[in-house]
Amino acid sequence: MSARDAAPADVDAPVVDVRTRRGLTLSELVLLTVLAAVFGFLYWALVQAWGALQLAMGPFGDLAQHVLVGGWMVVAPLALYIVRKPGVGAVVELAAALVEVAFLASPVGPMLLVVGLVQGAGAELAFTLTRYRRYGWWVFVLSGVTAAVASTLLGMVRSGWHLQDLFALRVALQLVSGVVLCGLLARVLGDALVRTGVLDETALGRAWRARVARDAAAPARATGAAGDGAPA
Amino acid sequence: MSAAPAGASPDGRAAPRARRTALARRDPTVVLATLLVVSLLLLVPVDPWTPLTLLVLTVAAARAAAVPWSTLARGLASFGPFALSVLAVNLVTRPGAPVARVAGLTVTDVGVLVGTGLALRTVLVGTLAVVVAASLDPVRLVASLHRHARLGARGAAALLAAHRVLEQLPARWVAVRQAQAARLPGPRPTRAGALPTSPDLLVRAAFTLLVVTLRQAQQMAVTLETRGVGSGPRTVHRPARLGAGDAVLAAVAVGTTVVVGAVLWRLGLLETWASVGG
Repeated sequence: MSARDAAPADVDAPVVDVRTRRGLTLSELVLLTVLAAVFGFLYWALVQAWGALQLAMGPFGDLAQHVLVGGWMVVAPLALYIVRKPGVGAVVELAAALVEVAFLASPVGPMLLVVGLVQGAGAELAFTLTRYRRYGWWVFVLSGVTAAVASTLLGMVRSGWHLQDLFALRVALQLVSGVVLCGLLARVLGDALVRTGVLDETALGRAWRARVARDAAAPARATGAAGDGAPA
Repeated sequence: MSAAPAGASPDGRAAPRARRTALARRDPTVVLATLLVVSLLLLVPVDPWTPLTLLVLTVAAARAAAVPWSTLARGLASFGPFALSVLAVNLVTRPGAPVARVAGLTVTDVGVLVGTGLALRTVLVGTLAVVVAASLDPVRLVASLHRHARLGARGAAALLAAHRVLEQLPARWVAVRQAQAARLPGPRPTRAGALPTSPDLLVRAAFTLLVVTLRQAQQMAVTLETRGVGSGPRTVHRPARLGAGDAVLAAVAVGTTVVVGAVLWRLGLLETWASVGG
């Protein structure tokens, strides 16, 4: 197994790097806008699946959006995991919405810009609470929850979900979808992408390499110390 | 994902730059901002009369602005199922006086009113989205956002790079799917519609698309940095200027929405969440 294939145990811990405290570099900007373009395209494709699922669910077809909603928010925590700078989640989700509305024609219309901003800010809230220093699994779970809550609040304003009989079911579906398809999927995607080497020049790539080096050095030190007769 | 999005042709080539609608001559930032304001205003009414009236006016205005019937029909066809679904679930989930029972579920009067209103709102907003997407030129949009929405030069360059990526995505997606099909046992598919559709292969194709595109983003970032983008202020080849027509467009669109709402309110036909029991 190469160093790139290895799975470091503590990639979520903070990495002290002065580069992470400055504004976005051009390379990061291009990465984020391209992420927005790809996910805008994938979101648009998910809308096609949404339509089919709605029809298949008959009178309860409106609930299909709650099953899939996490999938429309995944780019926010993913971008934060990769770039690790404030505001990135909300902005990339807004940009993905812009791609959908202006270039691909979404059935949600221009309101999708508001939806994207609210969902992105909701997903980012969990990372803000850690001051953008922690990227463990629980932060991603929390990110899915906060994104789902933000999305639900917006749905209550837009469509009066809280006035319907199925409100509790809507909330439950939103939370499950947010945790699984937004929070956890973002972490899984980020780990899979960094293994390919395509993120080597990002904050995530640097954190990953640092942990791989640390994990590789720890057993070597232990072996060397044992050979010298020193206490391990 | 075999259908092509509005911004690109099925083979991945760039969409035509000059679209021949009156809307295409307006400033793209103004068009987007106006539609956002109209969409926000449409959150207030939940009755069917407001979106129905505005839908009729939208179709009439779009035809007057030379938007093809085919574009409008595509919008209606795409968003019809969504509208029907919204109607169906609202019919049986809103409290109110029972008016019918269908398959063991009670249909209420509020459900009929709100369901029809939200369904028509879906069709209206979807139609507006299709008209705008068919009229906006992406390069003009980015130039306009740079000029009027304080989008920085680096952000504008990055957005244009992303748009270039977006144009290539459909062709790249098909290429990845065809490569998958070629590696599968059995006869090779003879047309795009016959490509394998297992969820596992679709997920793998989406991941491959992401990796290849991020690699391309790295290369584009290096190219932009090599050309000095981001190192200082930039000039604009074709500045986006606002004109009287842009002000007229915004005033007419927002004004019409407000006037229609006001007239229906005077007639007692406008309903909001508060008036239907919210």
